[in-house]
Amino acid sequence: MTGGDGPGRRERAASGLVVGAFGVSALGGAGFATVYATGGQTQLEGLALAVAFAGLAVGLAVWSRHLLPNGGYVEEHEPFDSPPADLRLAAEALAGPESPVRRRGLLAMLAVALGTLGGAALFPLRSLLPFDRERPVHALRTTPWAAGVRLVRADGVPVRPTDVPDGTVLTVFPEGHRGRGDVPAFAVRLDPARFVVPPPGGNVAGVVVYSLLCTHAGCPVALYLKETGRVLCPCHQSNFDLLAGARPIAGPAARPLPGLPISLDADGFLTAIGDFTAPPGPGFWSLK
Amino acid sequence: MTGTDTLPARRIAVVLAVLGLATGPVPLPAHAAGPAPLSARVGGAPDRPQTRAAPAPPPPTVPTPTAGASVPPTDPGGGSAAPAIPPTTGPVSPLGADLYLRSCASCHGPAGQGSQRAPSLVGVGPASVDFQLGTGRMPIDQEAAQPPHRRPAFSAAEIRAIVAHVSSFGGGGPQIPAVGPGDLRDGRELFLANCAACHSAAGVGATLTNGFVAPSLDQSTPVQVAEAVRVGPGLMPAFPESVLSPPQVDAVTSYVQELRGNRLDRGGASLGRLGPTTEGLVAWGIGLVLLVAVARWLGSRAGE
Amino acid sequence: MITRWLLRRLGRSLDDRLRTAPVLRRAFAKVFPDHWSFMLGELALYSFVVLVLTGIFLTLFFEPSTADTVYSGSYAPLDGSRTSAAYASTVRLSFDVRAGLLMRQTHHWAALLFVAAIVLHLLRIFFTGAFRKPREINWLIGVTMLALALFNGFTGYSVPDDLLSGTGLRILYSVTQSIPVLGEWLVFVAAGGEFPTEEMVPRMFVSHVLLVPAALAALIAAHLGILVRQKHSQFPGPGRTENNVVGSLFWPSYTMRTLALFAWVLAVTFALGGLAQINPVWIYGPFDPAQATSPAQPDWYVAWGDGALRLFPAVEFRIFGHLVASPFLPGVVFGGLTFAGLYLWPFLDRRHRRGQLSHQLLDPPREHPARLGFGVAVLTLFAVLLAAAADDIVAKIFRIPVLDVLSILRVLALALPIPAGVLAYLVARVLQASGGRGVGDLTRQDVRSVRRAVRARVGAGVGAVTAGSGTPPPQDWAAPADADRIELWRDRAGRWRWRCRGAGVLLTANQLYLSRDEAERAARTAYGDLPLREVEPPGGAVGVPAAMVERAGRVAGRTGGYLTLAAVAYWRSRRSRRR
Repeated sequence: MTGGDGPGRRERAASGLVVGAFGVSALGGAGFATVYATGGQTQLEGLALAVAFAGLAVGLAVWSRHLLPNGGYVEEHEPFDSPPADLRLAAEALAGPESPVRRRGLLAMLAVALGTLGGAALFPLRSLLPFDRERPVHALRTTPWAAGVRLVRADGVPVRPTDVPDGTVLTVFPEGHRGRGDVPAFAVRLDPARFVVPPPGGNVAGVVVYSLLCTHAGCPVALYLKETGRVLCPCHQSNFDLLAGARPIAGPAARPLPGLPISLDADGFLTAIGDFTAPPGPGFWSLK
Repeated sequence: MTGTDTLPARRIAVVLAVLGLATGPVPLPAHAAGPAPLSARVGGAPDRPQTRAAPAPPPPTVPTPTAGASVPPTDPGGGSAAPAIPPTTGPVSPLGADLYLRSCASCHGPAGQGSQRAPSLVGVGPASVDFQLGTGRMPIDQEAAQPPHRRPAFSAAEIRAIVAHVSSFGGGGPQIPAVGPGDLRDGRELFLANCAACHSAAGVGATLTNGFVAPSLDQSTPVQVAEAVRVGPGLMPAFPESVLSPPQVDAVTSYVQELRGNRLDRGGASLGRLGPTTEGLVAWGIGLVLLVAVARWLGSRAGE
Repeated sequence: MITRWLLRRLGRSLDDRLRTAPVLRRAFAKVFPDHWSFMLGELALYSFVVLVLTGIFLTLFFEPSTADTVYSGSYAPLDGSRTSAAYASTVRLSFDVRAGLLMRQTHHWAALLFVAAIVLHLLRIFFTGAFRKPREINWLIGVTMLALALFNGFTGYSVPDDLLSGTGLRILYSVTQSIPVLGEWLVFVAAGGEFPTEEMVPRMFVSHVLLVPAALAALIAAHLGILVRQKHSQFPGPGRTENNVVGSLFWPSYTMRTLALFAWVLAVTFALGGLAQINPVWIYGPFDPAQATSPAQPDWYVAWGDGALRLFPAVEFRIFGHLVASPFLPGVVFGGLTFAGLYLWPFLDRRHRRGQLSHQLLDPPREHPARLGFGVAVLTLFAVLLAAAADDIVAKIFRIPVLDVLSILRVLALALPIPAGVLAYLVARVLQASGGRGVGDLTRQDVRSVRRAVRARVGAGVGAVTAGSGTPPPQDWAAPADADRIELWRDRAGRWRWRCRGAGVLLTANQLYLSRDEAERAARTAYGDLPLREVEPPGGAVGVPAAMVERAGRVAGRTGGYLTLAAVAYWRSRRSRRR
């Protein structure tokens, strides 16, 4: 640091850089305001703000690195254990002769009272599940599918077997329960001669209906591979073989897709003759 | 690599498509020159039924013979009622037969009866033939489980001729659908309900099983989309008219056109529309790297 | 001039009421170690600030409700669709609120970076042993904040009620439901019923904008409070002991630096928010339990859990006739073990280390090859899990059957971590033997020398490597050999200062002392029994801060002047143009 005007020149250069950076920042800010005021455009807004803040960052960084003292300081770091005298005094203050800590009996009863209160305070958490709703186990085990409930498409139109020709897949719902999470099912037509395991819900002229929910984590197994008679889950790549009773053949799913028992009603529409052959969707503790 | 519908190739694919349009051999299917507007964005919705009701005029040079309106025996609702081109009869053009014999017959057999190497073409229908040729999936150079979308090997007129020739083998099958502008909102809803599970809500496609993929829709023209919907090529389910009505197919094709390119990428670079995976890579590879680089600079002392 | 006068007036009036001077004096003098890795936590902090700022903006437009609404706005493919209010308002704030999309994307990018910075910070703490006594409390707080950050990230991307996040929520619901005995009730109480419920969005929203951020803010305050109380740890080096901190002062240099970092975090998040699209919910569409999109991945910070769900084989079993469903082991048990391990680590690590000593000097990672190896092994496992979460994308890009990708990753998850850990262990031992500096200062030469040394080691046989694995070589930084003496002096204004002078080291005390005793006590605390001598006030070198502040002020003044001039010029030109 003995050079004549070396440090001075360097400092002037740094100051110039800082001024320039803050100027760029101001331009960025003005740019953002302009873009916003003239109608807004996401990319330009982002770019302008980025320039504004980057200018600020560069200016401040250069300022701190070249115009301020860096490093070379030391601060003492006293150990954390207090002097014994302090410890003793604190302990006396806490548990001295008049301290409530000494009244064991009272403390025990206080603990009982607080514990009970704490436990009682947990009860209102139960309100999070409204009392007029179904209990978990019942809700998980059952769906609105029942005997006589017609299969309808997403737009509410009832389904005839001829609406499910070869090679297509149709998402179906119980009539009147479109929005529920546990009801979606799908119908496909398969050649009954190819069944390795008969479909659990039976078939009407080759049309079989299974729950749409993966038995692993409940995603819709909506990827139907026409030729192979398989469905895939988009979430964790479980494969189910519809020719073998929707048995899982790969991936983390362990149980087959529940089938929907179906038949034809008097008007020739597909109708359920009961609930799914097992609770649909992912497993749970009380699943039989 | 010809895997043009794999994702890194999306951009390149777009460029290729543009180049293809610019250099001439436009992969437009047979009746694309007809009055039905291709783009979903032009033309008004009100006159759509009329557009549909008016049959596309038969192509001027090559009359399209089809084997009448036969109903496939095993297919109760499917494919039989293709609305588009009225079945016409006429002589099979020599061009179609010639091209077929040269490029297709070695695998599919001179009368489309199929062989050990390729399936029969009897009864697949014009839509299927036009789709396979128009997307360049056929003819294939080497046997592949799932040929990718490429530039078509034939001109539009040649494809029309081959379609006509294959149709002469008989058997019916779905006709090439006529496509008109459809309702974007219905299209979005139908796409999410029926297509997004495999092709992704963003239209970029996804993997299936055994190396099969649901391809990206980025290069698909409206007619190709409609053909795929009706035919169900490969592992894809088919959606005959009993499942999706013609206006619904119009809506889906319109929405797929909206998904193509980067019109919907209003937030900036699309990152392949691959969702959180590429977003995470960018967050670590660009965002955090930038942050840590500056932290390193700030954390060092000037002159060190 | 005016600035200083104003500051003095403000300071005086505050001090009259709060007696702030002693606190401020000490706060300004806090010493920050000069090493970039100490700024990783700040990255997380500033990302959090960006999250709060952009989040407040979003809260004003987002409607946390699943009520049926009709979206009408400028996004044509949704115009007229019936969706939940949450989804409609998210699309509205992206397309119909000016700067809304920028804020939403910046918020999301900041969330990704927030967790990434936390993880990086945690790794630095882990590998350098900064979690050891006395900093276990701050480690526990930090791990809690990580868990809260993951949870808040999840609720944040779930509240828009779009198809992709709804699928993720469905998975989380299923994983919770799989917990034996409690799962069914737990998930029903949390969500208010069977999936999907109308309560989920409002509840997640309250948690996302109120409960968890409030908890995070409180924990950040505690984290920083403890940091200030305990002071920084530091890497070993000349003049550094267990009883001091060497570095730069909080005011002015570190204040400027950290503000620069804050501005940079804002710059990067807004650049990403404006230029890179994230979570385009308008493309994904509203959630419907009967629909799916594929590929379906969660944000990266929960993707390891998703990867575990994909990799783990289909195992379900029964206990007394009750079902333990397949997501339980990879989802609940693995996640639980991860966080249990994180919480317990300081106490597990301690059992092998020297007693209950406090540590202010960090371990260079190589000094604890076993810890390094373990950490690298665990990281490798998580990297494989992250890759597994994208197995379908990998399969599609490389046209490999996805089940093959899965099999490969299963093998890698089992086979890769331990060799990776062993390799890290060996490298650490070699580095240790070859000597060198902190891990942040690794150069290419170091790597080359490691390679050479490894070759030599391999040549000498494995026995040589394991022979030295008892205790790390004694490296006693407690008495800096080159810090020869303490110099103590009284400056012209009568205040006392000291500095430590040795070969290549000149470290000045961070504060001015009012008495000689005070100064001497501080020096003794920092350096023990080094020889201490009173000297003449050194000229110039020490008076730096005032001059520097002066200079900085000049720069600021000039900047302000230029800016004002520019603004005036612009305004005038506008006016003249209007005429």
